Amino acid sequence: MTAPRGRRLLAPADVARCREELNSRHSPSGRRVRVCIGTGCAAKGSRRVYELFAEAAKETGAEVSAVTCVGCHGFCERGPIVVVQPGDIFYQRVEEPDVAEIFRETVLGGRVVERLLYEDPVTAAKARTAGEIPFYRVQQRVVLAQNGVIDPRSIEEYIAAGGYSALVKVLTGMTPEETLREVERSGLRGRGGGGFPTGRKWRSCRDAHGEPKYVICNGDEGDPGAFMDRSIMEGNPHAVLEGMIIGAYAIGSSQGYIYVRNEYPLAVEHLKEAIRQGREWELLGESILGTEFSFDVRINRGGGAFVCGESTALMASLEGRPGEPRAKYVHTVECGLWDRPTNLNNVETWANVPAIINRGSEWFASTGTERSKGTKVFSLVGQVVNTGLVEVPMGITLRRIIEEIGGGVKGGKAFKAVQTGGPSGGCIPAQYLDTPVDFDELTKLGSMMGSGGMIVMDEDTCMVGMARYFLNFLRDESCGKCTPCREGLAQMVFILDRITHGEGQPGDVERLADLGVLLEGAALCALGKSAANPVMSTVRYFRDEYDAHILERRCPAKKCRGLFRYRIVAEACKACGICLKNCPAEAITGQKKVVHVIDQGKCTLCGACLDKCPFDAVVKV
Amino acid sequence: MPMVTIDDVRVEVDEGATILDAAGKAGIWIPTLCHHPCLPSAATCRLCMVELDRGNWKQLVTACNYPVRRDIVVSVSSDKAVRTRRGVMELLLARAPESRPLRDLARRMGVEGTPYPTVSQTLRDCILCGLCTRVCEWVLRRAAIGFAGRGPSRAVSAPFRQPAEACIACGACAAICPVGTIQVRVHQDTGEVEISPFKARAKFQTCSECGARMVSVPVTQEVMRKVKNEWEKLRRLVGLCPRCRRKETAARGRTPAEQPQQTR
Amino acid sequence: MMTEDNRVDEIARRYDGEIGMLIPMMQDLQAECGYLPLRELRRLAERLGLPLSRLYAVATFYSSFRLAPKGRHEVTLCVGTVCYLKGAAGVSERIRAEFQVEAGGTTPDGLFSFQPVNCVGACALAPVMIVNGKYYGGMTADSAMEILRKLPADAAPVEGEART
Repeated sequence: MTAPRGRRLLAPADVARCREELNSRHSPSGRRVRVCIGTGCAAKGSRRVYELFAEAAKETGAEVSAVTCVGCHGFCERGPIVVVQPGDIFYQRVEEPDVAEIFRETVLGGRVVERLLYEDPVTAAKARTAGEIPFYRVQQRVVLAQNGVIDPRSIEEYIAAGGYSALVKVLTGMTPEETLREVERSGLRGRGGGGFPTGRKWRSCRDAHGEPKYVICNGDEGDPGAFMDRSIMEGNPHAVLEGMIIGAYAIGSSQGYIYVRNEYPLAVEHLKEAIRQGREWELLGESILGTEFSFDVRINRGGGAFVCGESTALMASLEGRPGEPRAKYVHTVECGLWDRPTNLNNVETWANVPAIINRGSEWFASTGTERSKGTKVFSLVGQVVNTGLVEVPMGITLRRIIEEIGGGVKGGKAFKAVQTGGPSGGCIPAQYLDTPVDFDELTKLGSMMGSGGMIVMDEDTCMVGMARYFLNFLRDESCGKCTPCREGLAQMVFILDRITHGEGQPGDVERLADLGVLLEGAALCALGKSAANPVMSTVRYFRDEYDAHILERRCPAKKCRGLFRYRIVAEACKACGICLKNCPAEAITGQKKVVHVIDQGKCTLCGACLDKCPFDAVVKV
Repeated sequence: MPMVTIDDVRVEVDEGATILDAAGKAGIWIPTLCHHPCLPSAATCRLCMVELDRGNWKQLVTACNYPVRRDIVVSVSSDKAVRTRRGVMELLLARAPESRPLRDLARRMGVEGTPYPTVSQTLRDCILCGLCTRVCEWVLRRAAIGFAGRGPSRAVSAPFRQPAEACIACGACAAICPVGTIQVRVHQDTGEVEISPFKARAKFQTCSECGARMVSVPVTQEVMRKVKNEWEKLRRLVGLCPRCRRKETAARGRTPAEQPQQTR
Repeated sequence: MMTEDNRVDEIARRYDGEIGMLIPMMQDLQAECGYLPLRELRRLAERLGLPLSRLYAVATFYSSFRLAPKGRHEVTLCVGTVCYLKGAAGVSERIRAEFQVEAGGTTPDGLFSFQPVNCVGACALAPVMIVNGKYYGGMTADSAMEILRKLPADAAPVEGEART
């Protein structure tokens, strides 16, 4: 749909008029059904749910536009999510057979379908709206404000919700310098993990010599367990675009790139559509809003390499080369893509910009801590009751996030540690749960906030195994260019493999520490420099587990195969003989009516008995 | 001109010169492997690490490509710098256990052995410094070989592991390999040159001047030692047979012999 | 009829022959052929004025590129941290053992290609397996086997396969 001549946005008054017009188009009855089609909900069949709602609306003659798709709410575990207006009724785990009932009861009849409401796992209280759900109640959604509200494929919904008013404000009433100063004053710091002051980066790029200047959006979110950027790109792509256009204006750039991970096809699709619409509405391209400012954006998909989240590797990829990082003794703001001044920011960083312009730097700086302003989106996942995206002011404690919002550890198990910052971060044990979360506090504990991934681990997690998992990951993703990372990671994985297989030797932990220090000092890029963090932090807080593995050949969490024993619980044993028959080492003795016993001397620790026992009488010890 | 204070020795260098340049001027030796005067530094081996004084903290940087843009203070012999270089060398020794030049360099650094086992499965004895690929791409402009894969299983290889079509058997890769892993075998009977481990086989070259068949391999080594950053000249000389090369040098007038670069 | 050269030229033209767009070009080529055939890569190198070794370096650096034809079905298993915590390693092991397929490879009978990846961003459904673009959550070794065993053996082969 093209913006007719009369609707071009040339001044703030145009935006206001457009917004009014779009809002008046809504159904007078106020009825609306919003179905989430983000990757998480779509994976559970929400697209079909949407289609069924649309069909139902058509059949009854209710306006089909009253049924819309929305982007990721961030509560994927409870998906598919459907929100019905009026009343903001929040339905979760909606399946195809439920559609007819919801439509009849709620949409047409204004009644609530109790069984599809969110139920508190402890109090069993039902919540009618999202606001009543503890998961959402504590959150302060700024970046994610429109996620789950607007159709991400519609620029009109974005404008109707206030979108592009920041861009118009900037282009019609602010100079690039004034725009830059607003962002500087806000205290916004990079949300991708580096935490560099955004305004300062913009200024350095603006002051650098060289043309053309480039702006890049880093959508290569590679930390396993982190999906904040996916959610923003899928659920509100225009927010990212608007931020980039404003940034390009402030910096003096006319060409931008959005680099999206290959594994995020829906994000690519929505961004492409957003760019197409942006061009139609003349918010991208030549002479934006009739001014002299021109700017356009291209999307590049990653090829499948975690290291391309590193800025110089990303730029190498944009130059058609393997994603090898390079030295940053000369910063990329001076010499970046094609050796030109380049400003790279993360998806979430860009998405914060429109709000800062609209509501002011003072407003932004009033949230958060002294050195970490604003809100941050975290991805709370793992062994936690409520899995999903959490946007909160910085400075909130880990405990509030994990317990109040996350609902605590799943299955009533004990909390063991939370991994923050992905593979570049470390694990934080229970005694530090009251630490405030911001750019600096977690670093003091040997971890980092990183891009916002928070993986909760319970008492059954082997921390040595987790260190090995992360190092394995990093070794596979290392570009291989520099010696310490390439060889150092190979050596560290070799040692951790030995330890987790019961072949650890005294001195292994010291050797790992030496390698950790070496990598930190000598590696070429941030991947290599921080690669040892998972090991160093688990050694720091869980040394006893390493010692048990190495000195006793025992895995305290009973996870590493061969490093724990099996025992038959006498009270539960029904003497059925299945374990005996399946034991390859003939290590089990017993007869009918006689409790079976494992001879530890003969047992090869294969675990077949536990797999086969129909009465759960075999336990790990 | 910025001043570099390196292990208490002060030298002035041109802006944009590297710490390694400054060290050379100051007569201070820093070990290098992936550095060669005829190519821009990629700083892949990380052997030349030194400590840069940043006021309230010290930063480890690679000397071969750190550009001096203002007065700086550098420490080559600090504990941390020495330990870091040792650590890197220990990893390299584990990677290339059979390399004589590498062991010699280690000994010169005071590193006798390595506590690490050899765990690499692919291309042992290659330290993946990239000199061979870069000399082939930037100096000879053939790019017959390149890197393949990533991480510890990364390897230098001819495309698709087939004999490299673009190879002209000049032997520059063998000449520049700092650990002596690349070997060139001349087969007089078939008129071919074989370069391992890339399995590249190429016919003898013909002299671009007189058309005689020749093997430029022994020439290349010498030429590369004497020519610094003069790629055009190197390319030209590498394509000439010994007789034509002598004629060319004589015709241009005796150029003062440049200091052969003893980087190994 | 689309010859190899035509196909490559068309792809290069799509991106104005810009070498910075090499990776998108190779992605398009792989989407059309099912993998990256050597002949097409040679032609692309020629067309862009790049050495073949560069294209080989790029093709082998990024995990999404395939130099051999893929199977009739595409199976992706997430082995990101959360999926790993919930047992993805065991699922991976079972798939590899039962179907004799390596990570990044194809089953001997060409039924499917198997690609473990690090996090698809659907952590709430861990462990996640994607078959031909369709997401399956909460996988166990057994449930994964059930789905894979049901894959139709006679799905139409991708164009690229005819070349072997």
